[in-house]
Amino acid sequence: MQRLVELLARAMAILGGLILTALVVLTCVSVLGRGLNTLGHSGFLEGLAPGLAAALLGTGVGPVTGDFELVETGVAFAIFSFLPACQYYGAHATVDVFTSFLSPRANRVIIAFWEVVLAAVIVLITWRLFEGMQDKMRYGETSFLLQYPVWWGYAASLFAAVIASLVAIYCAAARWIEIVTGKRLMPAGEGAVH
Amino acid sequence: QEVTLRLHQFLPAQANVPAKILDPWADKIEAESEGRIKIERYPAMQLGGTPPQLMDQVIDGVADIVWTLPGYTPGRFPRTEVFELPFTSLDSGATSRAYWTLGEETMFDEDFKDIKVLGLWVHGPGLIHSKNPIVSVSDLNGVKLRAPTRVTNGMFERLGATPIGMPVPAVPEGLSKGVIDATVIPWEVTGALKVPELVTNHLEFGLPALYVATFVLAMNKDRYEALPDDLKKVIDNNSGLEFSGNAGAQMQADDAPERAKALELGNTVTTLTEEQVAEWREAAAPTSDAWVEEMTGAGMDGAALRARALELIDQFAEN
Amino acid sequence: MTNLELGYLSFPVLLLMIFLRAPIGLAMLLCGIGGLWMVIGTPNMFMSKLKSETYTTFSSYSLTIIPMFLLMGQFATLSGMSSSLFKAAESWLGHRRGGVAMAAVGACAGFGAICGSSLATAATMSRVALPELRRYGYSGGFSTATLAAGGTLGILIPPSVILVIYAILTEQNIAKLFLAAFVPGVLAAVGYMITISIYVRLNPDSAGTREPMPYGERIRALLDVWPVLLVFMLVVGGIYLGWFTPTEGAAVGAAGTGIAALLSGNLNWQIFKESIIATATSTAMIFFIVLGAGLYNSFLALSQVPQELSNWVVSQGFSPWTVLAMVLVFYLAFGCLMDSLSMILLTIPIFFPVISVLDFGMSAEHMAIWFGILVLIVVEVGLITPPVGMNLFIINSMDRQTPMVETYKAVMWFVTSDILRVILLVLFPAITLFLID
Ligand code: NA
Ligand code: NA
Repeated sequence: MQRLVELLARAMAILGGLILTALVVLTCVSVLGRGLNTLGHSGFLEGLAPGLAAALLGTGVGPVTGDFELVETGVAFAIFSFLPACQYYGAHATVDVFTSFLSPRANRVIIAFWEVVLAAVIVLITWRLFEGMQDKMRYGETSFLLQYPVWWGYAASLFAAVIASLVAIYCAAARWIEIVTGKRLMPAGEGAVH
Repeated sequence: QEVTLRLHQFLPAQANVPAKILDPWADKIEAESEGRIKIERYPAMQLGGTPPQLMDQVIDGVADIVWTLPGYTPGRFPRTEVFELPFTSLDSGATSRAYWTLGEETMFDEDFKDIKVLGLWVHGPGLIHSKNPIVSVSDLNGVKLRAPTRVTNGMFERLGATPIGMPVPAVPEGLSKGVIDATVIPWEVTGALKVPELVTNHLEFGLPALYVATFVLAMNKDRYEALPDDLKKVIDNNSGLEFSGNAGAQMQADDAPERAKALELGNTVTTLTEEQVAEWREAAAPTSDAWVEEMTGAGMDGAALRARALELIDQFAEN
Repeated sequence: MTNLELGYLSFPVLLLMIFLRAPIGLAMLLCGIGGLWMVIGTPNMFMSKLKSETYTTFSSYSLTIIPMFLLMGQFATLSGMSSSLFKAAESWLGHRRGGVAMAAVGACAGFGAICGSSLATAATMSRVALPELRRYGYSGGFSTATLAAGGTLGILIPPSVILVIYAILTEQNIAKLFLAAFVPGVLAAVGYMITISIYVRLNPDSAGTREPMPYGERIRALLDVWPVLLVFMLVVGGIYLGWFTPTEGAAVGAAGTGIAALLSGNLNWQIFKESIIATATSTAMIFFIVLGAGLYNSFLALSQVPQELSNWVVSQGFSPWTVLAMVLVFYLAFGCLMDSLSMILLTIPIFFPVISVLDFGMSAEHMAIWFGILVLIVVEVGLITPPVGMNLFIINSMDRQTPMVETYKAVMWFVTSDILRVILLVLFPAITLFLID
């Protein structure tokens, strides 16, 4: 079970990371296209080699249409996909200076308590995201330039949020089982790097 | 007081529309209700979210009243787009009255069925602000341009420009970084966005306007219905045709000072002659035709909507 | 209870939750939705908000810069840029008294120029420099403290994730903030080096020395850092010169360091996955805090706390400098307990309106930028102040033999240097502002 959840959390993070990488590439291509377009329009190139300038523009080179909205849709999915790994590795920022005076067991109980609340909130977020998606489907809202339905982005994010909910529920349960049975089911919390 | 209403919108409190239209409107309602209504003002998205969410916020009751652009949520308010079509709007006061009237006739039970509409208006004639001079349509070729709505984006794409999608607040940075070479906005907001400092050319088309964007002041339906009749009446007395017309006229009036400031900076303001505009009108015409076709395809009578809009605008412009 | 009272009450409740080890983003989110519930009387408002707020928070174009900068830092680590930086600095400085520690600070400054995060800088440079420091006889506490302090340069020297967040919260220009942070960032590095030289003079046993290196070798080592210089110029220079927006700059930087990592042969599928996981956990943590802070701030706005607080400050007739000093001391104190990002997201919407109505004799934009840099520095000091200093924890976890207390003792020297620098920047705003004019 733990192996499966870990695999799921990592797979989602990597999927999100690949999307993020794709957005990096998309943005670079758009910047490059825009740069060439500006060069084609520049007085410098028009004066130097008008044929080349016209040929450059004739290729239709320019920024990627709708790059802003694609980045926005893509990055929402990426971040929802990053949530399971954040849950699994216990990477949320916390302050433990005051609780460090308590016994290790008391600390484990406190962590497990918040883990349950966190799981509940992530489930709430997922449920509300589902409602939001239905709104967007009903209203037929589209993106600005490419005019794809806004709910597509919601749907992709919802998929990741459902996985995040499952992982969060597992983590909350596992923390309590750890306390009761003394068995180790979760990796030790590691401070996130930011 | 009995009723506290939260008014949420995206501009800072000192901007033209909040200061000259929304605040006086809210003050008047507070006074006429003899203090029974209080309107709390939350400028600059203080209650959270992004401008495109304002419409959902008022429908869901996150805010009680919002001021927003239907165009922020493409696809949801198709009929409002008729006023955004090229060379449609005359004097903004007249167009706003036409917008309200057509709204009553066709939109309140359709596009706006989830909200109580308090005001519908358009801004002053929109114009092109560009780094390099633009006079004829061919000057637009490949120019990276930010436009506010689905319809205007479509129009500029047909005119040969490369439309770039970005939120309004990103315009100054976009211009300074060459992400865009040009933008279309009315004069009224150029000062707030520092546009005259970032470009040197402004292209005016006279009337009818190249384009305008539509606004809506909307209230949560349940909140309105739950008001006692005398308070409903206070709201109604300050909303509707007259209010919409005045709001549109006010926005157009706010254009002149900003235009003067651009001239003061030494920028070039070109106003096309009627012959020069003819070329633009011809090139932009397919946008309106395509819109009519699209609406008809979606089960609305696009041609009738357009004809009625033009008729109402003419009618109000003559008075 | 009035809305205002609810707003004020939420502070102790929030702190209690945080001190009881609630994830900070979760604590803010709970206070936010709890507060909205109590103000409105029904859960409708936060339930409606959550329908689209999570999605729009996560899909923000300008916040996309954060995962991209984090990815860039990961790739920069893999590409061997950190070790070539340290080698170059060490070849020039290492033979001096305290020289290897100075080299570590110099390398941190260099790495900070291509990495937007303090913890990543601290962790990366520790991996490279800690073994070297110990090899040349530097004491444990002094070594860890040096690297913890050096790590803060990751944020002070642009690019910087915290500055991006500040810019978005206060609607300031990211490029100008980056530029304004540059001189204070360099001053920080110089201050740390002076601190090191004083420390080793007072504690001669804490550092050893080594033979000077021949100049040929030094120059070769210096030439090896060209990829770092290239990436920095491309990203920060490109953003400032207006080639692209900050988000685009981050994408170009991530692509550039990614290619460098590929060329260095250190990037295979296995390592790429680990970089992604590290980026993923940090990104999710940051965005969860952003989400919680957004909801909490909506509640605060509704309760009118920021307006009332700013009215109160004005009505008390405090001098602007007193208010500024109080705010900075507040950050220093809280920095002992909380992490910098949470503090910024939590407090800027409250403090910024207060500060922006005060007259410091400069334009609103200058004031916003100057205040931003001051806040950036004081919250970064929080990363190295005991008892809770994230940089201290990170580095101590990499050097288990050194007791935390040793690190605490040595790091106070660097904290002193930071505080002196803050005073300098408060007294002379021109140090921060002259580059942007
Ligand atoms: Na940095
Ligand atoms: Na601290």
